[in-house]
Amino acid sequence: MKEQVWETRPLECWAKAKELRAEWQANIAKDDKIVGQGNTYFVDWQEAFPAIRIVEDNPAGSMIQAKSSPFARKCRLASEIRGWGREICGYHGNIWGSQFLGYDENGAPFARRHFVVPFPCVCDSHAKRGQQVRDFEPVPQWMSDQCMYLGPRDEDREEAMNEHKAYCTLRQINDIERVFGQKFDDEKMVEMIHSGHVERECRSEISRLMAQTVPAPISVKDMYSFYTLGFLTRIDPQKNLDFWKLVRDEIKWRAENHIAALGTERFRWIEAHPPSWHFLKYYRYMEQYGAVCLGSQYTSGSGDYKGIERVTYPEDTPLLTREDAIRYSDTPNAREPVGFKQDEYMNRPPYGEDVLIKFARYNQANGALLALWRCGVGCTLTRKEQAMRLREAGFSVLHYEGSQPGDRTDLDEKRFLNQLDNWMESQGMQKLES
Amino acid sequence: MITAGIDMGLEYVKAVILKDGKVIGRGRGHSGGAARAANAEAAYDGALKSAGIAAGDIQKVVSTGIGKHDVTFAGACRTESVTAVKAARFLCPDATTVVDAGADETLISTIKDDGNPGEVAINQKCAAGIGLFLNYMADRLELSLEEMSAAAPAPAECRVSDGCVPFAELDALSLLNHDAAPAEIAGAVTLSAAARAASTINDITVPNLRSVVLCGGLAKNKAFVKALETLTDIAFHIPEDAEYAGAIGAALIAAS
Repeated sequence: MKEQVWETRPLECWAKAKELRAEWQANIAKDDKIVGQGNTYFVDWQEAFPAIRIVEDNPAGSMIQAKSSPFARKCRLASEIRGWGREICGYHGNIWGSQFLGYDENGAPFARRHFVVPFPCVCDSHAKRGQQVRDFEPVPQWMSDQCMYLGPRDEDREEAMNEHKAYCTLRQINDIERVFGQKFDDEKMVEMIHSGHVERECRSEISRLMAQTVPAPISVKDMYSFYTLGFLTRIDPQKNLDFWKLVRDEIKWRAENHIAALGTERFRWIEAHPPSWHFLKYYRYMEQYGAVCLGSQYTSGSGDYKGIERVTYPEDTPLLTREDAIRYSDTPNAREPVGFKQDEYMNRPPYGEDVLIKFARYNQANGALLALWRCGVGCTLTRKEQAMRLREAGFSVLHYEGSQPGDRTDLDEKRFLNQLDNWMESQGMQKLES
Repeated sequence: MITAGIDMGLEYVKAVILKDGKVIGRGRGHSGGAARAANAEAAYDGALKSAGIAAGDIQKVVSTGIGKHDVTFAGACRTESVTAVKAARFLCPDATTVVDAGADETLISTIKDDGNPGEVAINQKCAAGIGLFLNYMADRLELSLEEMSAAAPAPAECRVSDGCVPFAELDALSLLNHDAAPAEIAGAVTLSAAARAASTINDITVPNLRSVVLCGGLAKNKAFVKALETLTDIAFHIPEDAEYAGAIGAALIAAS
């Protein structure tokens, strides 16, 4: 008999999420705007250009693999024969291949790109990836620098970096106005910053509730159905805001009423990376053991686990000019690392305690599942060292060689699931009867 | 109580009959890919025959190994880390760590005071540290497994990559083309396999190497054991039933 410990029920916001996701997908295929390829998480300014739409490379590339493995292979082959190695990020191999082939996974013509804005990243390979899109037509490329540094905090250096980054973005905006004859809407930008702030607060509250409530009111598997909405998959801003308030309220209610994501929760685990989007089955597989995943710093909307004082807004930050707005939206990257990659470089010994240990403790986790994949997003040099530090801190850790998020090639499903069995059984856990 | 354990490895299937804490029968055969289910039954029959009992006398069968789900007549499946630890303590009561080096996997587990697994490390996908690699290289070098096992440490100028099987094979072929003796190359590839296995042992964060049991098929390869001992500075306990350890662990679990 199944060990049902807590009440559980499906999330009510599913339907809305599916509707918004479908809206995003439909927008990619439209040919009614000036289309840029990039990552909207780092392109806050796009909403202030009403005639411009950014097609997000990461989720679009991921969708290709998730929807059709044969088409994804065809895309990557098309990339490979043009000289891109197999070690390139699968997201990009897929989407370039689709561009080379001239059609998408649904057989529709590949939507033409008018410019590219690769996102600034600590791994510093995105500039090169942007070059591929730039050279294809060719189209203009704009890119900001990734501002970060190691070692003790240096406010002068930080200010200079922030100014440089703000300047990069201001220049992008000026160039786009000039090249495409568009007018940048400053008021809209400020409005977006306000609504973005509310959205982030919602995400943060959800992550806090996931981490701090036992049983977890939502698992990361469920969260993955929502979390890209708004920043990686851009939709109507008001609909987006309404949606995140809806999710937050539902999760809050579930936490208050002890409604579990997994009724048999008895083991909480974390990760350090985005998942193999084409193989999310492992989350459900682990649930057979009563093991629930709380996600990673990649997905967590809350920086609380880092013990950082949160930056408040808007009381202490007047946004009177375009420069104010851009400084505000750009500078948190330098002020404090926001991404999981930056975290792993900056928040680790000898600069401080490993961020994953903080994250594991914050989430009341029992263990961590750490991927070792040879390329793509989440491929990080420090993974083995993180595992050692986690083990020393008392967490159970399993490494596995999986397939990178956008490329199924390296997936050995049977071996991976067998490793999960070994991990669970070595801790005295067995599958619960269904 | 009479129980059976079946260890369905990638290369060989091993079956053991356990009666009141003693191994009374053993069976072994090739696991055979798609024919695993039938080969498991054949190994099981062999074990029953050597024990002199009938299948009806067995109270419970537990399977383990990479093909454990193919053992259709097993009442339960348990993973390799659990069965290896159980077997290690059974075969060597003071064991603190077990190294299970087989055809497709090198698994290390520390053993807690209560006899349960502690920290577990498993080799990664690269085939360089596993038995299949050595079998494959034996074919390339036209040596028997016994000759591979008897290989002496290779001289310093005879080395192959210990980071990647394709590179190791290319290195070996290159050595052959430069007239190196196959037996010397066997020593080099064995050292390479041992280096990979040693790196998995090093993955254990909090080692407990007071009494380390080495089991699995590679425990029979003397050259591998010597190379691994040299690299890790560990004096392994190698039980007589090292190859049957997984099956013994499964039978012990069936009895518990």
